[in-house]
Amino acid sequence: MIIDIIQILALGISLGGVYALMGSGLSLVFGVMRIVNLAHPAMIMGGAYVAYWAFRLAGADPIAMLPVAVLILAATGLVLYKLVFEREAQSARYSEMTVLLTFALAMVVEGLLGAMFTNTQRITSPEYATDAYFVGDVFVPKGQLFAAVTSVAIISALALFLKYSRFGNAIRATTQNREAAQLLGVNVNHVCLVSFAIGVGLAGAAGALVSFVFSFFPSKHWEWIVILMSLVVLGGMGSVLGTVLAAFILATASVFVGFYFGATWSTLTFFVALFVVLLVRPQGIFGEKPELA
Amino acid sequence: MANLLEVRDVVAGYGNGPAILNGASLSVQPGKVHCIIGPNGAGKSTLLKAIVGMLRLREGDVVFKGNSLKGLRPDQVLRRGICFVPQERALFPKMTVRENLRMGGFSMADKAALENRIDMIEERFSILKERRDLPAETLSGGQQQTLAMARTMILKPEIVMLDEPSLGLAPKIVREVFKIVQIMSEEGITILLVEQNALMGLKYANWGVVLDLGRTLFEGPADKVLGDPRIQELYLGGRRAA
Repeated sequence: MIIDIIQILALGISLGGVYALMGSGLSLVFGVMRIVNLAHPAMIMGGAYVAYWAFRLAGADPIAMLPVAVLILAATGLVLYKLVFEREAQSARYSEMTVLLTFALAMVVEGLLGAMFTNTQRITSPEYATDAYFVGDVFVPKGQLFAAVTSVAIISALALFLKYSRFGNAIRATTQNREAAQLLGVNVNHVCLVSFAIGVGLAGAAGALVSFVFSFFPSKHWEWIVILMSLVVLGGMGSVLGTVLAAFILATASVFVGFYFGATWSTLTFFVALFVVLLVRPQGIFGEKPELA
Repeated sequence: MANLLEVRDVVAGYGNGPAILNGASLSVQPGKVHCIIGPNGAGKSTLLKAIVGMLRLREGDVVFKGNSLKGLRPDQVLRRGICFVPQERALFPKMTVRENLRMGGFSMADKAALENRIDMIEERFSILKERRDLPAETLSGGQQQTLAMARTMILKPEIVMLDEPSLGLAPKIVREVFKIVQIMSEEGITILLVEQNALMGLKYANWGVVLDLGRTLFEGPADKVLGDPRIQELYLGGRRAA
């Protein structure tokens, strides 16, 4: 029994680390821009394909390719923001429009990836991806562990940047009170542009790590969006810290469900969590309570 | 003395809605405290938002030191030397008091000078020093207003615009808030104040402006505005100034 619990925690925490990075970019973009970026998982898919093809063509390690995936996706984010979102920023129906726009964007990315790489299931397979560490009867897949450690390192760097850098403070300020930030000299449009690029860059980083943890194909992002939305909602919309905490909680819960009721039920954990949180505590762990009226 | 800021026949409103300001004009003289009074819906807060660039001017102009501010964003207006504290105090609730003060000097390039300036502000407002590591949301209403006003002093602006600084505060706290207005004025900062508590606002002001239906009805020395029987009847609740 104790061994089972330790095993569940080991797998849950390492899986949570991966989910945390997958969700943090989504949360950052929502916090700053109030955009629910439904295309975020499709961007993760983009990062996964960058790592996959670098591995296939040149045998490049997916973790070593992570900076390349970040740069390519962040640049894509910059272009997308300028082309798609900036012009909508003044729209009275900004929130509704961005939901539709990101939905359409997800479809376009899926179509492009499908056309370029077909709908075959892919996974990168560096040596560590098929190995595991054993401590007594408890095991942790090496790939999952490496991905989790890398994720935590990236998220820690992001947290330090947000807390201690001048631009990071501008991002936090814009998240908490956009109007006040502008009144104090912050160019919020520039903050939105850079934050969107960082968010999509984080999706690229997550994609490089995901490429050896899960098998993937272009339309798989629809499955991920439910998982990521449940993390962001439980953590509190716009709270990166909340999303990270929620990732560890829900990943561990899903491993628990998979362990005792079968793997097919583990994804259901995220659906149920999303439903229950919206019903019981819609503001999540760290979010602001929605105001009536 | 030349006017520091001039609002000339400004027409402005929210989005595509009706105009709230219908030709408002105003002259701001350097170093003085100006108080704008008027009934609810007169356009007092809207006027401040139009000056600072939060609302687009449909007609008219805002001229600061001879240069038009028309079309500038709030962050660009701030860099020219005009700070604005809106009714909601515009704090960052999850950031600490010190971080909020640091954001007040966001446009300062010299980090060491910024930290020195924050230290000076903390010395002047000891409550901010005591609470420096606490999130701003944990402060009382009066402390939050102190933080919002003190934060504008980081940049040593030429004009500070305050929208209803006494809103929702107990009378004792209101007096403390007006003491800060006095401190700012003594530092040579020109103040443009919108105040529902018109008697209190005019007592601390040098210059009074009466706004109604989006137009400037009258402006003149504050004691003259306070003493005008028509203004007392219409805008000061019929009370004579003490």
